[in-house]
Amino acid sequence: MAEIRFENVTKYYGRKLAIDDLSFTVKEKEFFSILGPTGAGKSTILKMIAGIAPVTSGKIFFNDILVNNFSPHERNVSMAFETYNLYSHFSVYENIAFPLRAPKWKLNLNREEERKRVVEVASFLGIEELLDRRPQALSGGQKQRVSLARALIRKPLVYLLDEPIAHLDAKLKFSTQTLLKEFAVNYGITIIYVTHDYREALALSDRMMVLRKGKFDQIGTPEEIYYTPKVDFVGRLVGAPPMNMIDGELIKEDGKMSFKAGKYFTIALKNELAESAEKVAKSENDKLNVRLGIRCEDIKLGKQKLSENSFQLPVYAAVREAESSVISFELENTFLHVRIAENAELKRLQISGLLWLNFKPERMFFYENTMEIYKS
Amino acid sequence: MSKIDCKNIWKIYNGNVIGVKDLTFTCNDKEFLAILGPSGGGKSSTLRMLAGLEEISKGEVLFDGKKVNQLGPTERNIALAFESYALYYHMSVYENIAFPLRAKGMSNKDVDKSVKEISEVLNLESILKKRPAELAGGHQQRVSLARALVRKPNLTLLDEPLSHMDQRIRTEVRIQIRRIHEELGNTTIYVTHDQEEAISLCDRILILYDAELQQIGTVDEIYNKPVNKFVAFFVGEPGMNFIKCKVESPESISLQTSKGKNIFGFTGAVDPKYVGSEITMGIRPQQIGMVGYGGQKSTMSGLVKIVEFQGDNDVLIVELGDINKTRIKVVIPAGGRKFKQEETCWMDFQPERIHLFDETEKAIIKKMS
Repeated sequence: MAEIRFENVTKYYGRKLAIDDLSFTVKEKEFFSILGPTGAGKSTILKMIAGIAPVTSGKIFFNDILVNNFSPHERNVSMAFETYNLYSHFSVYENIAFPLRAPKWKLNLNREEERKRVVEVASFLGIEELLDRRPQALSGGQKQRVSLARALIRKPLVYLLDEPIAHLDAKLKFSTQTLLKEFAVNYGITIIYVTHDYREALALSDRMMVLRKGKFDQIGTPEEIYYTPKVDFVGRLVGAPPMNMIDGELIKEDGKMSFKAGKYFTIALKNELAESAEKVAKSENDKLNVRLGIRCEDIKLGKQKLSENSFQLPVYAAVREAESSVISFELENTFLHVRIAENAELKRLQISGLLWLNFKPERMFFYENTMEIYKS
Repeated sequence: MSKIDCKNIWKIYNGNVIGVKDLTFTCNDKEFLAILGPSGGGKSSTLRMLAGLEEISKGEVLFDGKKVNQLGPTERNIALAFESYALYYHMSVYENIAFPLRAKGMSNKDVDKSVKEISEVLNLESILKKRPAELAGGHQQRVSLARALVRKPNLTLLDEPLSHMDQRIRTEVRIQIRRIHEELGNTTIYVTHDQEEAISLCDRILILYDAELQQIGTVDEIYNKPVNKFVAFFVGEPGMNFIKCKVESPESISLQTSKGKNIFGFTGAVDPKYVGSEITMGIRPQQIGMVGYGGQKSTMSGLVKIVEFQGDNDVLIVELGDINKTRIKVVIPAGGRKFKQEETCWMDFQPERIHLFDETEKAIIKKMS
């Protein structure tokens, strides 16, 4: 297994900048996810590691060995694509066995050994019954698992998985996700995993990177990314409903600082919170503009006033989840979502009319505005 | 205003393929009903028969007590919105919404009034002059919905209207669909394969699988009193855990461990004929309690195999201490204790959280009333 290191890697497709001076390290035996929206450059990173796409500038190291000039097969990586790339003239069995037969790896397995390994990985992924079929006879979800099985059958220096479960039904997706995690945990392997689904990244990763337009906004453990997003974009990308972002201004009066969200509410900010807000606030037209971020589970609701710092808003809608509910309030350019854990709470609050809201101060974050927030 | 009654309706294709089998249900006036199930279960066939797009092979469909089997789609006064938005790209948003009214020959003044009204409800006033291509997916969806609703239909039928939307937008559009339903107070039937969507939007849920009705009920009934294993697993994410067990008495079951039997009581009772037989116990991952220490007969030990962080909770894959080493999932809310891999844990199966299913997969606990 290998440690993978990027040093100031830049990639242009023609004149289009895809990866912008990116440096990061994936540790040996780490499950490392790259999370980002479409077009962020996620797949490009994998292709550069695999050697399918050359870097424009910068260096890529496998265990401190510069691999820029290595061909794909000299790099010893194993890759699963979102688009499957199966050989349609081969059976599923032959597709999965293909990497074992490549002369380059000198595995020289006899038929029995080969069958044992193919059956093992196929039954692990629940596709044992499909081994004799041709790829054309499979559904998208089945093809995707065949592609994944082919990637997992051999032990390379690093596994590169590009949205490997994106096309599975919800139920199957979760169970396959668990299998992948188990695979990684049991075999102690390096995996670089690309996804646009934050739930997969949180559940699977040891560490993850949030990528936007060829640069990363944050690298950290799933807990760090979820609980302390460093940029508004990270808070919005991770979590459902996304982290609430409220634009407003900082007001200083008699040495006291408060945050005013237009006509909706004003809350007082104490010590460190005031400092953190001031640090990122932008001065425009005599106003100190800043963006407040808070997760939907970090807001308390009540029929009565909850504290000096609580405020009232009219309920826009209440939407149930299996074990909880999300109450939404309408602000000028966004909704403010609040999750209440117990559905009993929902009945108690008799969701309608005005409710009191209270933000947990230790869970409030202030951000520079780096993206537009709007109601969809 | 519309109450829908389906009485023993069947859809049979090509004389032998059964699409919908003997389906009977009522959707009350102003109700928001979801038809939920996996693909191929008969959801869309049912919706198409309600809409008049598909012939009803057998049975009757009644709107407010009147039989509509022979009426065409327009005569039924139904609004339909599909998975794809099917907007007219050469027309403005305003003209898209006005289209069904103009087709009816309504005067310009009345058209304008209706379009303005529905646009206000759907928050579309600011984009009426735009072309659909300029709009984000969520907006397009709402335009499509506005066009469906502007005729003040008896019944709104929505077929997977959110399935092509970005996860992020979906949450918000859901909130809006729910709000619109409340404001307009019309009867809505919503087809989806997404159980989360059905739970969040609807008053009641009808579950179709294998062309047959499995269960119809409120969200609470479906979630807390599933009638069979299929419903129990399909609704809820992760789905219900199933564990082999033995019936000890009409009020208790046991799980076999290497050291003996762990006995669990449950709320309600089963028919005494089951005593001594092997059945399946079901318990939701979200409803298993973790306890500090074990040893008691009503707890079960397990070994944590995998921990999946989900943001607002952790999902644990636990190997139970029963002789089958059954793998179950346990959801631990955020802020609770953090578990590590290969750590031993103790779980509490509370009597009111236990479900039991016989070999035909039917739920068998009778609750005392």
